[in-house]
Amino acid sequence: VIELNTVHFETLLYDINSLCVCVSPSSCVVCVQGHGVLEMPSGTGKTISLLSLIVAYQRAFPLEVTKLIYCSRTVPEIEKVVEELRKLMEFYSKETGETNNFLALALSSRKNLCIHPEVSSLRFGKEVDGKCHSLTASYIRAQRHSNPNQPVCRFYEEFDAVGRQVPLPAGIYNLDDLKDFGRRKGWCPYYLARYAILHANIVVYSYHYLLDPKIADLVSKELAKKSVVVFDEAHNIDNVCIDSMSVNITRRTLDRCQNNVDTLQNTIQKIKETDAAKLREEYRRLVDGLKEASVARETDIYLSNPVLPDEILQEAVPGTIRTAEHFVGFLRRFLEYLKSRLRVQHVVQESTPQFLKDIFDKVCIDRKPLRFCAERLQSLLRTLEIADIADFSAVTLISNFATLVSTYSQGFTIIIEPFEDRTPTIANPVLHFSCMDPSIAIKPVFQRFQSVVITSGTLSPLDIYPRILDFRPVTMASFTMTLARTCLCPLIVGRGNDQVALSSKFETREDFAVIRNYGNLLLEMSAVVPDGIVAFFTSYVYMENIVASWYEQGILENIQRNKLIFIETQDAAETSMALEKYQEACENGRGAILLSVARGKVSEGIDFVHHFGRAVIMFGVPYVYTQSRILKARLEYLRDQFQIRENDFLTFDAMRHAAQCVGRAIRGKTDYGLMIFADKRYARADKRGKLPRWIQEHITDGSLNLTVDETVQLSKHFLRQMAQPFRQEDQLGLSLLTLEQLQSEEMLKKITQIAHQT
Amino acid sequence: MASLSEEVLLVVKKVRQRKQDGTLYLMAERIAWGPEGKDRFTVSHLYADIRCQKISPDGKSKIQLQLVLHTGESTTFHFANESSALKDRDAAKELLQQLLPKFKKKANKELEEKNRMLQEDPVLFQLYKDLVVSQVISAEEFWANRLGGINNTDPGLCDNKQEVGISGAFLADIRPQTDGCNGLRYNLTADIIESIFRTYPAVKQKYSENVPHNLTEKEFWTRFFQSHYFHRDRINTGTQDIFSECAKQDDKGLKSMVSQGVKNPLVDLLSNPDVTVKDSSNSAIIKRFNHHSAMVLAAGSLDQASETSSTDGNSRDSDFFQPPVKKVRLQEAIEYEDLQRENGPKTVALNLKKADRYAHGPVPLQSQQYTTSQDIINSVNYIQHEMANYKPNLTQVLSSTSASSAIAALSPGGVLMQAGAQQAINQMVPPEVQGELKHLYAAAGELLRHFWACFPVNTPFLEEKVMKMKSNLERFQMTKLRPFQDKIQRQYLSTNLTGHLEEMLQTAYSKFHIWQTRRMMRKT
Repeated sequence: VIELNTVHFETLLYDINSLCVCVSPSSCVVCVQGHGVLEMPSGTGKTISLLSLIVAYQRAFPLEVTKLIYCSRTVPEIEKVVEELRKLMEFYSKETGETNNFLALALSSRKNLCIHPEVSSLRFGKEVDGKCHSLTASYIRAQRHSNPNQPVCRFYEEFDAVGRQVPLPAGIYNLDDLKDFGRRKGWCPYYLARYAILHANIVVYSYHYLLDPKIADLVSKELAKKSVVVFDEAHNIDNVCIDSMSVNITRRTLDRCQNNVDTLQNTIQKIKETDAAKLREEYRRLVDGLKEASVARETDIYLSNPVLPDEILQEAVPGTIRTAEHFVGFLRRFLEYLKSRLRVQHVVQESTPQFLKDIFDKVCIDRKPLRFCAERLQSLLRTLEIADIADFSAVTLISNFATLVSTYSQGFTIIIEPFEDRTPTIANPVLHFSCMDPSIAIKPVFQRFQSVVITSGTLSPLDIYPRILDFRPVTMASFTMTLARTCLCPLIVGRGNDQVALSSKFETREDFAVIRNYGNLLLEMSAVVPDGIVAFFTSYVYMENIVASWYEQGILENIQRNKLIFIETQDAAETSMALEKYQEACENGRGAILLSVARGKVSEGIDFVHHFGRAVIMFGVPYVYTQSRILKARLEYLRDQFQIRENDFLTFDAMRHAAQCVGRAIRGKTDYGLMIFADKRYARADKRGKLPRWIQEHITDGSLNLTVDETVQLSKHFLRQMAQPFRQEDQLGLSLLTLEQLQSEEMLKKITQIAHQT
Repeated sequence: MASLSEEVLLVVKKVRQRKQDGTLYLMAERIAWGPEGKDRFTVSHLYADIRCQKISPDGKSKIQLQLVLHTGESTTFHFANESSALKDRDAAKELLQQLLPKFKKKANKELEEKNRMLQEDPVLFQLYKDLVVSQVISAEEFWANRLGGINNTDPGLCDNKQEVGISGAFLADIRPQTDGCNGLRYNLTADIIESIFRTYPAVKQKYSENVPHNLTEKEFWTRFFQSHYFHRDRINTGTQDIFSECAKQDDKGLKSMVSQGVKNPLVDLLSNPDVTVKDSSNSAIIKRFNHHSAMVLAAGSLDQASETSSTDGNSRDSDFFQPPVKKVRLQEAIEYEDLQRENGPKTVALNLKKADRYAHGPVPLQSQQYTTSQDIINSVNYIQHEMANYKPNLTQVLSSTSASSAIAALSPGGVLMQAGAQQAINQMVPPEVQGELKHLYAAAGELLRHFWACFPVNTPFLEEKVMKMKSNLERFQMTKLRPFQDKIQRQYLSTNLTGHLEEMLQTAYSKFHIWQTRRMMRKT
C-alpha cells in the first residue's frame, strides 16, 4: 500500500475529502488490481485525488501500472482533467526538483484536433471525418504517385513521413497543445495523438473510444493490459454501453443503403474490367481467414471487440459471400428482407433467434454468413478503394446489425414499430435492434484492464452499478462533503400555497392548479434568489406545455420583471447561445432563469458554478418515458436476468437524473445553492433514499413536504446566511487542512475514520 | 420678458386657461399662453421644465391638454374652438411631442451634470457658495471654466453617459384595459416605445417605413398589438399583416446569433461528440423568449458589444485567437479559490514612527553631526550599563517642591520650553478660523486660476476677461479677505495668517500692472 506522503497535491491546502479517497479502501483498487465504484460530490477534488493517487503509484511501481486511461464525458471535461494533470505535474517537478518524463495527452475527434485549414473549418464532426478520409486514405495517397494533382493533406503526409520515428517528447498535451505542436512541426495532431497514446503514460479521452466497439477497434485496441481505467462522470455509463451496441433502422437508412449497394455493384463491375487481380487477391486473403486478428488476440495485444466474437476469428469467411459479387447479392437479399419486415402494420417484437429463423425461412440466409457481414464489408470497401467512408455509413450500419444479430442470442431484442406512438397516422416504420444488457459492451474493458474505477458525483445507490454492468468490485464507497458551513439546502416542495399537491405524475400533469403553483414557485423564487436560477423539467414536451400555459396565465411576464428567461431547445446551437446569454445576464447582474430539461444537453455536462446557479428547481420526478417498448423490454430483461424490479430501476434512473440536475449547482465548498425538489413524491423514503449521500444528509424532516411560502421563507434565511463573508480561515481545520494539521496524529485518525465509515 | 426674436412655431386661438379665453403660443424654446386682449403672457413654461403632457380621452366633452412640470405643478389648457378643438389640440400635442424630448435631454443633462459635480465635490460646492452666491463672479463664468475643463480633461465622463438598460418585462407593463365596448386599450409611453424599438429593431424599421406616409402613429400601434407578431401563440390570420416580415427578420436574427456560435468553449454543446442535432419542433413561444431576452440583454450593453465585437469579432474564423479565452475559462473551471494560498503580495500597513516627519516631508538638513550605528550601539550599551548599575542616592535628592517646579518649567508651556518649540498653526488657531482660511485659500486659488489662465492675453475676449478678473480679485480682497483679517486681529492672533494670500494677490496685481503698462506703451 502506498504511503501517504508519496501522494502529492498541487496546493498546500488539503481538502479533507480528497484525503479520504487516498487512505480509503479505494486505493486498494489500484494496488490489488480490482475494480471499484466511487461516489464523491464534485468540487471536492475527486479528479485531482484520483490522478495524484494513480500517478504516485505509477511512479512508485512503474512496472505494475504502465498506463492510466482516464475517460470523461465531454470535451470541456476532458480538457479540464488535462489541466488538472498539468498542475499536478508542475507541483511534482517543483517539489522533487526534477523534470519527470511523463507523457500525458488528450485525444478527441478529428473535429477538435484538425489543423488543415479547409477541413477544420467544417462545422460538423461527420463532415470533418469524411473530408479527412478523402484526403488521407491510403489509395488516395497511392494515386498521388501517378497523379500529382490529387489533393492530399500535407499535415498527414508530413506525419507519415517522419512523425513516427521520434516519440512525442514528454509533457502534458491538451488538445490545443497538440494542435500547436502539430502546427509547429507540420504534423497532423489527430494521427499524432492516436499514435502517441500507445506509449503515453496517461491518456484522457471520451468513453466512446473505449466502449463503442467500432471506435475502440480503431483507437484503443492495442492499449497495454496493465492499465488503470477511470470512468469519470460515469452515472450514465450503462446507457452509453447500450447505445453503442444498439442499431435503429428506418426506411431512409434502407434507401440509402440501397444506393450504397448499387454503387458497390457498379464499382465492382468497373474494377472487374480493369483490375481483376485485385479482387482475386482479396479472395485469397479471405480464404486465409482472419488469422491475423486471431493471433493478435490470443497473444493479448488487442482489446477484444464485442462485435467481432472470438469464434469467428478461427474460421474463414464462408464461401457464399467470398467473392465480391456474391457478397453484394447477399447484401441485396438481406436488404430486401429488411424492407419487407418494415412493411408491417402492427408492432412486432421478437428475439434474435426468432429473427434468424424467420430470415432463414423467408430468404434462406444462414446465420454464419451474417456473422461475417461486417468484416466482409470492411474488406470489400478497402479493396474497392472507396474514398468517402461517410457515404457508406448506411451499409456499414446494416452489416454491423447483421453481425450483431447473428452473434448474440441473449441480451438483445428486435422491435419493429410501424409508426410513432404520438402520430399513429403517419407511417414511419423503425426497426429497433436494441441492446438490453450494458455489460456486453463493457465486458472487454473489465476483462482486459487490471483496474477499472467507475466514479461520479451521483452514483447512488452504489450497488446497482455492479449488478447491471456485471462485475465484481473490490471496493465501493460513497463520500460526503465535509463542510465548514452547510452550503447546500435541499428543500422538498410538496404543496402549493392552496394546499394542492404538486406532482408531475401522469394524472395531474395537465392540471391547471399544479401548473399554476409551479409557476408561482418559480415566480417567488425569482424574486428571492440572486443571479441565476436553473429550472429542470422532466421532458421537452412537458416543458413546452408548461411554458405555453404560463405564458397564457401571464406568469412568465411577471417573472420577467425579476429576471430574464432563457429556454433550452432541442437545437444544440440555439441552446448554446441561450446558455451563453444566460451566463452573460448572470454576469452583468440582471439575473436570469434557464428553463431546461433533465436528461437534456444542459443537465449533462454544463456546470452552474457560483452565481450561475444559486438555485436549481427540479419540477417533477424525471422518470423516463415508460411507455416505450424498448424500455419495457429492457425492464423485463433486468427483472429476468439481474433480479432488479422494474420499479426499482425506474426510480433509480429517475433519481440519478434528478441528482445530476440539482448537483449542477454545487461545484466546490465555497459555492452555495438551493436545491428545490418540486414534487411531493420526493418526500417518500424510497425516493429520498436513492439520492446521493452528500445531498441526503442535509435533508431534514423539516424540509419535507413544504408549501411554496415555507420554501421561500427557508430560502431567504439560507441565502442570507450564505451571503456572509466566508474566508479560508473558517474552513481551516474543518474541511481544509494545512500540511502541519495533516501530519498531526489526531487528524490522520479522523481521516481514516471517515474513510472507513463509507 | 418675451424677446421679440423668438420664433413662433404654432399659434392656437381660443384656448382657455383658468376659465379665461386666450391664445396659446408654441415657440422655439417655451410654450406660453396670454389672455385675450393683452400682449403679455401669464403662463410661460420652458420646454425644459416640462416633464410630460397629458391629453383628455377621446370621448370626453372637454378637449384638454395638461402639462406637468418637473416641480410637480401642472397647467391645463382647454381647447374651446367648437369646430376645430380636436384638431388644434392634436396639432399642439404632436408638436410638443417632437419638441419635448429634445429639450428634456439637453436641459437635464446639463443641470444634472452641474448638480452632480457640486454634490460630489464639497470643495467645489464651497467655492460655488463663496464666489457665485456672494456674487464675486457670475454662475456662467464659474461653470464656463469648470465644465469646459472637465470636458477637456475627461471627455469620456460627459459624453459617455451610461445607457439605461431595458426592463425585461416591458411588454408585461403594457396592460391592456377593456374600455367597456369590446375593445382593448393599451397605454404606451415614450419609454415603452423606445424599449420596443431597441429590443425589436425590425419594428422600428417598419415604423420609420410606414408611419408618416402610410399609417398614423395610432394605427401603427393598433396593428402592432393586433398582429400575430405580438401574440405569438395565436394562429397567423392575415397575410396583409405588416409584421409578418418582422417575425421572419427576428428568426433570421436569431439564426445569425446562433450561427455566430459561442465564445465560451465550456458551454458549446456542439463540441460534445455524442450530441446529435435533432429536428426541432419548438413552439414559437420558446424561441420568442430566448430572442426577447437576448435582445434585451444586447440592448443593455450595446456599446460594449460593439466595442468587443470589433476586437474579437473575428475570433471565430481564425483558430489562433481561441485558445487564450479557452485557457482562461479552463483555468477558472479547475481552480478552487478556497484551496489557493493567499495570492498577491500582502499589503503592509503603513506604520509611521514619526508621523510629523511624514507629514512635513523632507526637511533641509542643517549641519548635523551624524553618529555611526556603532556609536549608537555603544552609547545604548553604555546607558544600559549605567542604568543597570544605577543606585539612587536618596539622601542627596532635590526637595519635592523644587523638583516639581523644575518639571513644570521643562514641560511644554513652561519657562524653559518657550524658546525652542515652534508651535504648529493648528494648535494656535481655533478650528473655525482654520476652516475659513481654507475656504479663502480655495476661493482665492480659483480666482487666481481664472486670472492666470488669461495669460498670454492675445484676444480681445481675454483682454476683457483679464480686466474683469482683476476687479474680481480686488473685490475678493475687499469683501472677503479684509473682514477675515479684521477678525483675526480682533481675536488677537499674532501670527500673520493671511500673509501668503496677500502675497499671491500682490503678485497677480503686479503682473496685471506690467501687462497694462506694456499695453499702454504699445497703444501709444
